[in-house]
Amino acid sequence: MRRIVITRILSMFGVLMLLTLAIFLIQNVLPADPVRAYFGRNATPEQLEAKRQELGYDKPLPVQYVDFLGRLAQLDLGTSLRTRRPVTTDLGDFTPATFELAFASVVIAGVLGVMLGLLGTRRGAGTGAVRLVSVMWSSAPTFFVGLLGILLLYRRLGWLPPGGRTSNTLEATSTGFLFFGRLMRFELAGVWDAVRHLLMPATVLALGPSVAIGRTLRGSLRDILRDDQVRTARVKGLTERAVLVRHGLRNALGPTLSMAGLQIGLLLAGVIVVEVVFSWPGLGQYLDQSIDRADFPAILGVVMVLGASYVVINTIVDLLQLAADPRLRSQR
Amino acid sequence: MTSDSSSRAVKTIATVSDLSVSFDTAHGRVHALRGVTLDLRPGEVLALVGESGSGKSVLSSCLLGLPPESRRTTISGSVLVSGIDMLSGSASQRRTVRRRLLGAVFQDPLTSLDPTMRIGTQLTERGVSAARARRNLSQAGVPEPTQRTRQWPHELSGGLRQRVMLAMALGADGKLPGPGVDAVFDDEGSPVLIVADEPTTALDVSVQAQVLLLFDRLRREHGCALLLVTHDLGVAASIADRIAVLYAGRLCEIGPTRNVLADPRHPYTAGLLHARLELDENAVALPIAGAPPDPLRLPEGCAFAPRCEHATSVCRDSLPELRSGDTGRLFACVNPLGPEAGSITVGAAAVRRAGAKPAADAQPVLTIQEVAKSFRAPGARRDRLHALAGVSLSVPEGGSLAIVGESGCGKTTLLRIACGLLEPDRGSVHWADGLQPQLIFQDAGSSLTPWLTIGTQVAERLRHEGSRRARREAAVELLERVGLDRRAARSLPRQLSGGQRQRAAIARALASSPRLLVCDEPVSALDASLSLRILEMLAEIRDELKVAILMVTHDLAAARHVAEEVLVMYLGRVVEAAPASQLFRNPLHPYTRGLRAASPTREPGRLAPTLQGEPPSAVGEAVGCSFAGRCPDIEPGCRERAQVLEPIGVDTRRQVACQVAVQKAVV
Repeated sequence: MRRIVITRILSMFGVLMLLTLAIFLIQNVLPADPVRAYFGRNATPEQLEAKRQELGYDKPLPVQYVDFLGRLAQLDLGTSLRTRRPVTTDLGDFTPATFELAFASVVIAGVLGVMLGLLGTRRGAGTGAVRLVSVMWSSAPTFFVGLLGILLLYRRLGWLPPGGRTSNTLEATSTGFLFFGRLMRFELAGVWDAVRHLLMPATVLALGPSVAIGRTLRGSLRDILRDDQVRTARVKGLTERAVLVRHGLRNALGPTLSMAGLQIGLLLAGVIVVEVVFSWPGLGQYLDQSIDRADFPAILGVVMVLGASYVVINTIVDLLQLAADPRLRSQR
Repeated sequence: MTSDSSSRAVKTIATVSDLSVSFDTAHGRVHALRGVTLDLRPGEVLALVGESGSGKSVLSSCLLGLPPESRRTTISGSVLVSGIDMLSGSASQRRTVRRRLLGAVFQDPLTSLDPTMRIGTQLTERGVSAARARRNLSQAGVPEPTQRTRQWPHELSGGLRQRVMLAMALGADGKLPGPGVDAVFDDEGSPVLIVADEPTTALDVSVQAQVLLLFDRLRREHGCALLLVTHDLGVAASIADRIAVLYAGRLCEIGPTRNVLADPRHPYTAGLLHARLELDENAVALPIAGAPPDPLRLPEGCAFAPRCEHATSVCRDSLPELRSGDTGRLFACVNPLGPEAGSITVGAAAVRRAGAKPAADAQPVLTIQEVAKSFRAPGARRDRLHALAGVSLSVPEGGSLAIVGESGCGKTTLLRIACGLLEPDRGSVHWADGLQPQLIFQDAGSSLTPWLTIGTQVAERLRHEGSRRARREAAVELLERVGLDRRAARSLPRQLSGGQRQRAAIARALASSPRLLVCDEPVSALDASLSLRILEMLAEIRDELKVAILMVTHDLAAARHVAEEVLVMYLGRVVEAAPASQLFRNPLHPYTRGLRAASPTREPGRLAPTLQGEPPSAVGEAVGCSFAGRCPDIEPGCRERAQVLEPIGVDTRRQVACQVAVQKAVV
């Protein structure tokens, strides 16, 4: 058991190394020349050459990669061309907002997914309609659902704000963990404000994943509820609820978790569109603006953070699956 | 007479009256049960026998109050367990009956337990204390119950899991109040009825014998009744007080075991009896003519009439009612067999057993020499699991060899090596002309591709046959050879019955003209008549097409029926090798003798003596005879000295790996 956990974690580091290699290679094939970008158009060839030597760009690729790893270890991802600040500083500012949005989204996707999955095990009026609506909303493009949501819930009904993280204009440009910060400080009104701002973007982001999770859960629950083990549980005289929760859901957890892991990866991609639609000051918006300016160091920085999150999340899912299914633990 | 009937009414613990169940399937409406009436008395063992599809499993799940869930299931009649209607009673009442009074054991111990829950939790979930759970485990014959409660189901063998199921069926301590049911609940907290649906079908003979002994002990010690659903009359004979025979959803015959087996009145019961393969040399098995009726198109009259040689027009036109015979027996037949029907000897139609001896100079189609294979043991760092520790065998052209042994003895590993699906660690495998043997699995249904027709699947193996039309024709020919018709060629696997799928799988294997068919438990999940027909067909293929057969089975009677020679394997070694006739007449190795004794016969009330325990773990290096721990004839030297196969007498085919047996044979 311990060996399996250690292997999984080591292999996660292996994948992360591959990620750095990929990013390094992308950096190298990109047409953008960081030295030229540094000097602007009017640099002389001698100046360029001197700077190139100074930054080590004349060394062979493997050596450059080692240098790159060294800088990475010191959290040096270069300087953003647009903001003229170190990319790591920018990432530090924008990541918490995205993290809060993604976190809220994962929670919503999980709750909605389990609800949809449980609903699917019942027969009767309404379940077909629910399935139809859920397929519709999950197949509509995220930006479209987002805009519809703003039109309906903000313009028409005025229930939710159209975007941003907070109504407090002083904090409007603030960075860091706004929701969690307020929660820690027990500012209840502030927490409620943050929740109102989170609700729409997080839900829009969660719709697709929730349907996928729900379908997987429904499928495996249906199979499991036909199994002998469930018949055994019924023979013990357990109530239907106990049969469903203790035996049904418990056994459906494995496949549902792996689907959830995949979906969280997609969700990280969807974050970019949703942040633009809802003017959420996170990595997505930062990336959007960086793409406009061909700000390659910034773009690669965001790719690095999102890629690493994806790898880490899927490792966590793997470990959760070990916890969910004892049979996986005893294999070599 | 009136007083008798009223006292009997009090004494039944379960009453099924006029129960009919039908439900819709993709192909039409199936009438699974058609007016079944029977009762169970306290402490009684009632065996429910019949071919697959006869409705026995539907009946047992109705007793548990869990009828088949399907769109448009219609049920009429009633099932009362201690006065509670298990079909129309309130959900909470039925739950209470299940929790307090009923236990259940199902066919497949691998799927009956929740893989994500520890054994202990699964037991206490029913409302029993941890101490009582441990007591129940040890009563169900589970060694080291305290340790077991902390284990997961996948860490236990099939036999142990089936015992855990039984332990789960045993009761709780003290009375718990329940609506209307506490009155019949006994002080010991034992269940009043255990419903066991093919509880031993997935088990080896020795574990089967152990489980049957256990059922018998529980009945005697706790007085709980048992409804034993089985397709094996031998299992029924060993512990049942009464036998109920079900055919196409109706009772054919019900009565005391002794009477039903000695002189069956219903021709179907007699047919089942004759179809059973026996180890006894003089017994001749005869399959029942025809096939079970299509559940979608049941005949108007007696459903057995089309297969019955005594059938008259009366039989075909009206449903026979149950009528009473002697000593509490009921049967539904207008032309019942007279007494002595159970012992009729069959003349010309007698089925041929093991075929002609292959010529002495026949070249072997498969030669395996000293193969060994070990796997990394789960959970262990350095120790290896020795699945095979040096096994040699050869199958002559057109000959047949059976390998018998308990699960875990290495049979399956050997088969996979024989077919080239697995590389041995050492030793050699040689096929005549380099032709790879064809493998036939136990569950042939799942080895067929579900979305291709049978004809296509056979034809795609006939690449050398030239045109597409020629291939089609050749495929039909092959299917006819195994007893399937042209229609089967156009069917999808799911449209065929289990027996037909097994035939289709054999036809597909024959398509590549193999010299050797390798069969893994080809009949262990089939009922008596069907398995007899499949075995017969294999023998026919061997004799007519000169295709040799290598068969693995834990059913000694099946091995005797097909094979000329038999190898007995134990823990990765051959412990005895002999011509089939000699092996079963005079088994030498104590393990072979144990297996033979553990095989059920149709003698009423004969509980087979059983080998103690289960095979030890094959992990690590073994010292001495691996059977020593279970051997009744153990001598001081056995634990130190490794046993090697030695020939006995002049016939070199007769070999045994037991010093004690060799000495006895010489003396």
